[in-house]
Amino acid sequence: MQPSPINSPLTAPAGATPPVIRLANIEKVYQTKTIETIALSEVNLSIARGEFVSVMGPSGCGKSTLLSLMGLLDEPSSGTIEIDGRPVTSYSDKELAGLRNHKIGFVFQSYHLINDLSVRDNVELPLLYRPGVSGAERRKRALAALDQVGLNARTNHFPAQLSGGQRQRVAIARALAGRPEIILADEPTGNLDSVMGEEIMDLLLGLNRDQGTTLVMVTHDEQQALKTQRLIRFFDGRQVA
Amino acid sequence: MIRHLFTLMWNRKRANGLLVLEIFLAFVVLFAVGSTGVYLWSNYRAPLGFEYEHVWEIDMNPGNQPRAEQYATLQRVLARLRATPGVVTASRSVDNTPFAFSNNTTEYTAGANNPKVYGDIYDAGPELRDVLGLRLVAGRWFDRRDEAAGHRRPIIITELAQAKLFPGGESALGKAIHSTSEGDKDKEYEVVGVTGPYRAGGELSEPQPGYFSYVSPQDTARALFDLLVRVQPGSGAALEKRLQDDIRTTSGGWASSIVSLPEQRLTQLKLLLTLPIVLGVVCVFLLVNVALGLFGVLWLNINQRRSELGVRRALGASGAAISGQVLGEILVLTTFGLVLGLVVAAQFPLLGVLDVKPGVYLAAMGLAAVGLYALAAGCALYPSQLAARIQPAVALREE
Repeated sequence: MQPSPINSPLTAPAGATPPVIRLANIEKVYQTKTIETIALSEVNLSIARGEFVSVMGPSGCGKSTLLSLMGLLDEPSSGTIEIDGRPVTSYSDKELAGLRNHKIGFVFQSYHLINDLSVRDNVELPLLYRPGVSGAERRKRALAALDQVGLNARTNHFPAQLSGGQRQRVAIARALAGRPEIILADEPTGNLDSVMGEEIMDLLLGLNRDQGTTLVMVTHDEQQALKTQRLIRFFDGRQVA
Repeated sequence: MIRHLFTLMWNRKRANGLLVLEIFLAFVVLFAVGSTGVYLWSNYRAPLGFEYEHVWEIDMNPGNQPRAEQYATLQRVLARLRATPGVVTASRSVDNTPFAFSNNTTEYTAGANNPKVYGDIYDAGPELRDVLGLRLVAGRWFDRRDEAAGHRRPIIITELAQAKLFPGGESALGKAIHSTSEGDKDKEYEVVGVTGPYRAGGELSEPQPGYFSYVSPQDTARALFDLLVRVQPGSGAALEKRLQDDIRTTSGGWASSIVSLPEQRLTQLKLLLTLPIVLGVVCVFLLVNVALGLFGVLWLNINQRRSELGVRRALGASGAAISGQVLGEILVLTTFGLVLGLVVAAQFPLLGVLDVKPGVYLAAMGLAAVGLYALAAGCALYPSQLAARIQPAVALREE
């Protein structure tokens, strides 16, 4: 099968700047000795700078795998991933880590905070892996990020002392502290009740609107997905809409 | 990053408490064995101060011979031995000969305002210097001048004794010293010579101040049954048998045993090293246990923290950074255990435990610390590599 052109109706319209993320002919296969599972097949997708895209689909359709590939946490079995127009296929582990650190922020459904670190220390984490950022600068940026999510009164608390919504805010602050161009959110409201979910959604929308942050969000919530600029649907590892 | 590691490990102090305790105990064991090792090694490296090659010790037993006849018999035996081909020189001695596990100690002082200095005392005749190749640094060895009766008896002391008796650095030559023991308090001794070190206790003994007390050839009471004999190089069993036969025939039946100082030295080394070696072996077993424990805990720890490590990868940590973090964490925990251990170990030099020099304890602390860091790093090496190989996408999905 011929690969789909990048500027298909399923992708963002071509703009003056290259897409911030571009996936071309992506296939991801998990292989064991006995079973071969195709997680993604023939994925061609571009995310424009400043876009807020939601990804929907039933469980096991490859949404999280897609996010892992976009976040350079995993390698495709075939195909090319480009960040800012540059293919990352030949990047070393260190270069990929640097790219993740500088360009991408992650928000996970189960927050993935480190329970033994205070809120502020959790938020400082991405900056810890950025050479040249002093302790004072880390602290300043962490506090600014916490202020942005409305948690500046909880800096010395530990994750176990916070509600689910507050933990997710900390996770968002952690993603923001590194000032990334892209935030990848994997079901960020999945563990929250509707009120807290709305709060988090408003926060993400605000980031996109006010700061121009590019957002890709995996969600099961149709209502939230409709609030984003573009909705992509997956089924059985394929992009269907 | 270091601050981050300390914060993280401090916040996990409860979970890591047993690990820190294990590291602390390992430090104590290393410190104990290290102190013994450093003490013995520093003693071993210090000069003995005498030549033991080609020197034999002869221990004689007069049996039932009447005491009044023993001195004359000894003179005959000495004359015969000195005339024997293969014998270079012979000296009377008491039983604290080199490497003999026997010592006589006493305390001397140069006056009421001077320190009292405890040390080993050796009965020595005019020939002992040549037999053992003793090095004089000042003054003279015992000779005929010491036969003249005087109110001061001659004594020769070692440099160490001189330094302790006269802390100002002045020479002891010609100075009077006297024993502090009750029976000998009234006697004054004049220092006629100063020698280099003399460590009859052997290489593993700590250098002590030494005093040589004069035994005149005419002395009929002391140093009658032990002889130190320097023989020609290459002398062996034939000469040994001949000397024993000569002693028996000349004395009219004295039994004797001969042992060379090199043999005596080896016997002593084997005996003295047995306990440290056993301690060392036990220490190695303990450290292997500690190492296995650390390795197991770290391995388990890595598996329990896959999600956290996955997040760190997602946030920008490279595999090498993760590996470095795991290594760093164990080194921080080691530091916690080490600080506790150092607090305990520091009491030894501060309190002067066992009268060992503080330098020995300090060196042992350093060695134990380095050993412990090396052990911890060695144990963390493989788990840290495992941690670096964790696939972030897989680890993040697992929760």
